[in-house]
Amino acid sequence: MAAVTLTNVVKRFGVFEVVHGANIDIADGEFVVFVGPSGCGKSTLLRMIAGLEDISGGDIAIGGKVMNDVEPADRGIAMVFQSYALYPHMTVEQNLSFGLRMNGNPKPDTERRVKRAAEILRIDELMQRRPKQLSGGQRQRVAIGRAIVREPQVFLFDEPLSNLDAELRVQMRVEISRLHKELGVTMIYVTHDQTEAMTLADRIVVLKGGNVEQIGRPLDLYNDPTNRFVAGFIGSPKMNFIKARIVGRDARGVVVELAGEEKTRIVQPLAGAAPEPGSKVVVGVRPEHFGNAGEGDADIAVAIDVVEHLGGTSFLYAKTANGEDVVIQRDAAKVPDTSEIIVSIRKSYLFDEKGLRLR
Amino acid sequence: MRTQNATAYRFLTPYLLVFAVFWIWPIVSSFLISFQATRTVPWRFAPTFNWGRLIGDPAFYNALKNTLLILVIQVPVMISLAIVMAVLLNSPLLKARGLYRFAFFAPVVVGEVAYSAVFRLMFSLDFGIVNKLLESVGLAKIDWFSNVTPAMALIMIAVTWRWAGYNAILILAGLQSIPEDVYEAATLDRVSKLKQFLYITLPLLKPVIVFCAVLSIIGTMQLFTEPFLITERGGPGGGTETLGLLLYRQGFRSLNFGYASAVAYTMAGLAIAITLVQLWLTREPK
Ligand SMILES: Nc1ncnc2c1ncn2[C@@H]1O[C@H](COP(=O)(O)OP(=O)(O)O)[C@@H](O)[C@H]1O
Ligand SMILES: [Mg+2]
Repeated sequence: MAAVTLTNVVKRFGVFEVVHGANIDIADGEFVVFVGPSGCGKSTLLRMIAGLEDISGGDIAIGGKVMNDVEPADRGIAMVFQSYALYPHMTVEQNLSFGLRMNGNPKPDTERRVKRAAEILRIDELMQRRPKQLSGGQRQRVAIGRAIVREPQVFLFDEPLSNLDAELRVQMRVEISRLHKELGVTMIYVTHDQTEAMTLADRIVVLKGGNVEQIGRPLDLYNDPTNRFVAGFIGSPKMNFIKARIVGRDARGVVVELAGEEKTRIVQPLAGAAPEPGSKVVVGVRPEHFGNAGEGDADIAVAIDVVEHLGGTSFLYAKTANGEDVVIQRDAAKVPDTSEIIVSIRKSYLFDEKGLRLR
Repeated sequence: MRTQNATAYRFLTPYLLVFAVFWIWPIVSSFLISFQATRTVPWRFAPTFNWGRLIGDPAFYNALKNTLLILVIQVPVMISLAIVMAVLLNSPLLKARGLYRFAFFAPVVVGEVAYSAVFRLMFSLDFGIVNKLLESVGLAKIDWFSNVTPAMALIMIAVTWRWAGYNAILILAGLQSIPEDVYEAATLDRVSKLKQFLYITLPLLKPVIVFCAVLSIIGTMQLFTEPFLITERGGPGGGTETLGLLLYRQGFRSLNFGYASAVAYTMAGLAIAITLVQLWLTREPK
């Protein structure tokens, strides 16, 4: 059982710094997801934890022990690669047992561990096949099985589902959740898919350009993002951002006027100092936080371009009076047949020009 | 569909004609000639004339023995060397990789006569750099051209020098097709570099190695240039005469085409047989 602690972790490739001092505390048994756009340094962080990349600065500790100079095999971790990295010339059984056999593990114990992994992942019937005779989902199971066999304290997953089709992805997501409950060990999971992050994680680490943007439980990130990036990244479809400006302050908070909507005022509660009247800000509204006219803080008129019907809900792709694109979520039954409608903003977030949340 | 095929064949006709005249016909023709007595004109059909002679000909057995000896020693040595060279070429520590790759490949494009001449100079008794080096470390110099064993060794060294780099480049391509993360997975599995090489790299390279071995076997079965030019027509005293040389001597010196054709078919038959055995031994378990 092991907690994982990253303290000011820096990674440089030559002169190019790609991780700029990451501080992440992962509790024993926790399921943590690193999420962020492609190229933000998720894999690099994971590979540093695994020991496949040197650490340029800071410390990585697993189970309270600093691992910077410890061999990958001695860190008590197991990793599942995006490409599965199965040994192509070995059967599933040989793939699972290879590491143990090479290290002279007693045969009965090896067999026990392989059998257990096969049972957990339900791959018993595939044991004599080679990787190329398996489907993508089956390969994925074998790759996870190879990690289970090592009986690690920490599992590392690098985008394990990104090569699977949508349906299989959902199915494997559930399996991985189940696996976490069953084994109860720490898991660190890397993905660029916020849905995977939201559904799997105990806590999410949002990364951007080598910086940790925010760490928190899925719903905390959804309800209380610290900046515009996290607000836009978490939630699907993504949050709408509408240009606005500060017009003043009253007893309830700061008063904001939406661009192109001179008569519309939104009052945002604000604990901190308010920006000068006249400063530009951005109001963020999630698609699901638009309501019927008169039901929210403020009403705006939008022109509908396209309607997407998903069954129970529909998405309206529309433009504000100022020409900004917004996506509005509606019950399918409540989709209007006019192209101009008034919607209300039931809940909104305020960001300053740099993208920091004003709260 | 049909007319499309017909059009394709019409485009291929010029090539097929050349192929038929200069490839198919000689193959058929030499097969027929091998059953004819060709020492006197007119040639006459005599099935046992050449084949019967072959079975009892000491010169044939000498050439066969030399060829097979070179085959069983030189091919494994060269392939092993090529694997080592490929692994070194693939090392991330290597600087100026392109230069080495060129250097390893260069012997193949050097003219055969030029390379043979250089080898004769390098291995010459009194002035050759090889003997000078031997003497400088206190060893006796070797008369490479007058004794059979050194002469055979010289042939093998020359052939290896010429073709090891070529095979190394082929094997390098195989090495580079093995994904890096397989080794990373093995590293996490606590498998040492040596065991990674033995249990991952070698098995995954098997198809390429078999391919190189087959090419080398076919090449060695036809070995001609080196014993012809370096050890001067299979010298000393036929000690390095190969099947290729015997064929040349019979066909183009004695103008005995029937016997030369029989030797040629024997060479081809042996190459096919050895290759089949090789493929069977290294077949994919299934
Ligand atoms: N071996 C490497 N050498 C140089 N730059 C690298 C190397 N590996 C990754 N990078 C760079 O580091 C950044 C982060 O990469 P990575 O961790 O793979 O991103 P992610 O997994 O989040 O998509 C990228 O800009 C990438 O180009
Ligand atoms: Mg990645």
